[in-house]
Amino acid sequence: MSLAHGPGRAGGLSGSSSDQELHALKHVAYIKNLDTRKDELQYWLTEHLRLNGIYWGLTALHLLGHPDALPRQETIDFVLSCQRDNGGFGAAPGHDAHMLYTVSAVQILVTIDAVDELEKQGRGGKQKVASFIAGLQNKNDGSFMGDQWGETDTRFLYGALNALSLLGLMDLVDVPKAVTYVQSCENFDGAYGISPGTESHAGQVFTCIGALSIAGRLDLVNKDRLGAWLSERQVDNGGFNGRPEKLVDACYTWWVGSSLAMIDRLDWIDRQKLSAFVLQCQDPEAGGFADRPGNMVDVYHTNFGLAGLSLLGVVEGLQEVDPVYCMPKSVIARCFAR
Amino acid sequence: MASHGVRRFKPVEKTPEEHERELKQIEEYKSLENSVSEKVAAQEYSTETLRQICDLLSRNPEYYTVWNYRRQAIRHQFSTAGGDAGDSAESAAESIVQLIKDDLMFLIPLLRSFPKCYWIWNYRLWLLDEARRLLPQPVARRFWQEELGLVGKMLTLDSRNFHGWGYRRLVVETLKQLGSEEESRNMTQQEFDYAKKMIGANLSNFSAWHYRTKLILRLLEEQSASDEERRAMLDDVFAGEIAEIEEMLDGAEDCKYIYQSLIECTLLVSKVAGHMASEDHRQVLSWLSELKQLDPLRRQRWLDLEKTLQSEITAATST
Repeated sequence: MSLAHGPGRAGGLSGSSSDQELHALKHVAYIKNLDTRKDELQYWLTEHLRLNGIYWGLTALHLLGHPDALPRQETIDFVLSCQRDNGGFGAAPGHDAHMLYTVSAVQILVTIDAVDELEKQGRGGKQKVASFIAGLQNKNDGSFMGDQWGETDTRFLYGALNALSLLGLMDLVDVPKAVTYVQSCENFDGAYGISPGTESHAGQVFTCIGALSIAGRLDLVNKDRLGAWLSERQVDNGGFNGRPEKLVDACYTWWVGSSLAMIDRLDWIDRQKLSAFVLQCQDPEAGGFADRPGNMVDVYHTNFGLAGLSLLGVVEGLQEVDPVYCMPKSVIARCFAR
Repeated sequence: MASHGVRRFKPVEKTPEEHERELKQIEEYKSLENSVSEKVAAQEYSTETLRQICDLLSRNPEYYTVWNYRRQAIRHQFSTAGGDAGDSAESAAESIVQLIKDDLMFLIPLLRSFPKCYWIWNYRLWLLDEARRLLPQPVARRFWQEELGLVGKMLTLDSRNFHGWGYRRLVVETLKQLGSEEESRNMTQQEFDYAKKMIGANLSNFSAWHYRTKLILRLLEEQSASDEERRAMLDDVFAGEIAEIEEMLDGAEDCKYIYQSLIECTLLVSKVAGHMASEDHRQVLSWLSELKQLDPLRRQRWLDLEKTLQSEITAATST
């Protein structure tokens, strides 16, 4: 079972940008077919993203109301085949363990309600996965590394809190220190960078606000200032960019939109116009979403495009998404009801 | 995976020959991948293994596990550098210098072709950290100094590259740690001048503006400036910026950013003063009504601000 690879071979060049319908079934078919393209070199060149890809595809299918479109047992088997001896997960079998794929593995197992599988076959259970994650925290400043080689980034800090909270094992890490680290990444414009001192970036805002949200410390955020910066990401064609003066991209619908939702400022932007822009990024014939209208689709933009649309609530027919986890709300509710 | 900015094209049915060729490419790629994994699993870090790792990374620089293989292979070479009996520590250091030099060179064309690939930048930083770990400080410092030149070139090619700016910050931080206190202070001033130069080349380079903001604070900190000096510097900075805003205002009455700046400044001034003059209140409300017209996308934001201000007025007049 493997899934992530793009770009999609999209048709849909008719340029009917006025097309404002959600082509849900086309997207379902597009995602289901991703794993049948093993005769393309691109499929093999993107193996380092496979586990992320399954998370993207699976989440998109859930939001589209087709939660069973991927075979459950095969999904479980593939996820488990990516686990390494240290408890972490690699992108595909044989690939090194890394925070990014470990988080995807946890998210997938939670989504299909299969976390218990970790307890089988002497795998050491969820405790072992959580220990791998906790072992990547820098005890001095609270930040997290991606793996043993030392790269540090607020993406990994968010990922750690995301996965550990889903597993119910947050107490393995120093949450207050992690919170302090996130605060040290805040800039004068109210937004956040990849590490202390770096420029604000919408993707990093999502990770920092998501982390603070999981830690229950959104009270530390200057919501009006951050909301102002985030709302300035919307440009005239309705789409969002990730930084001032940069190109729009459908995936920022999610990074910016979910951040606005978390700080309760989603009404500071024009949702109708944003939804219209995202719909233009669909391939109406072959399914999938691209970064911008007329471009190649891929499963990454398909997931974040759909998640963004779900968040905005303008287009009908999508399941509700949780802005903190980018997973279906119903899944998050089930997970935390335990 | 995430294909950015690639135009969609009509799928063209592959000819049998094309199909055959693609299958052959896949086979080649898979066999190279298998060969590398097997050699690494057997801890066989020969020159041939390293060559195959280079080949694989050149085909697919996003393959993070292979970058880790490369780290293991290079570390092995470090540990055997100058390993022959009778070799001095000096010649060991020389071999390590050469290994690092060669590896840094190998990365250049990859960085040019894939300037946004996280894994290449990371690997490069790791390698430079190895120089710091294994070599005498002045030698390590030379590597980092040259790096500053490289990142300068990268930022000339793409002056908004997010990785490039973050990378520059890390290189400068390390150079400061590796130099004397005076060198460190000079470095901050030098970077401040660099940011100025980059802004001069392109006024809307937000990355350079951001860098400059952080450097102002740093300069003040390092010069352990007195309050007076701080004020003089900030006055200098603000004077420059206010002059720029005034220049922009002329003939640009429909520019929403000017109204936003005016509102922000007025709110800031009143915050410092502890209250807002009623004249300022009226002024801000009138700018807000302009903004609601000029900036319909963010209408609710301006309505929210208006509401807050009005409730403040009510609160102020009722007390």
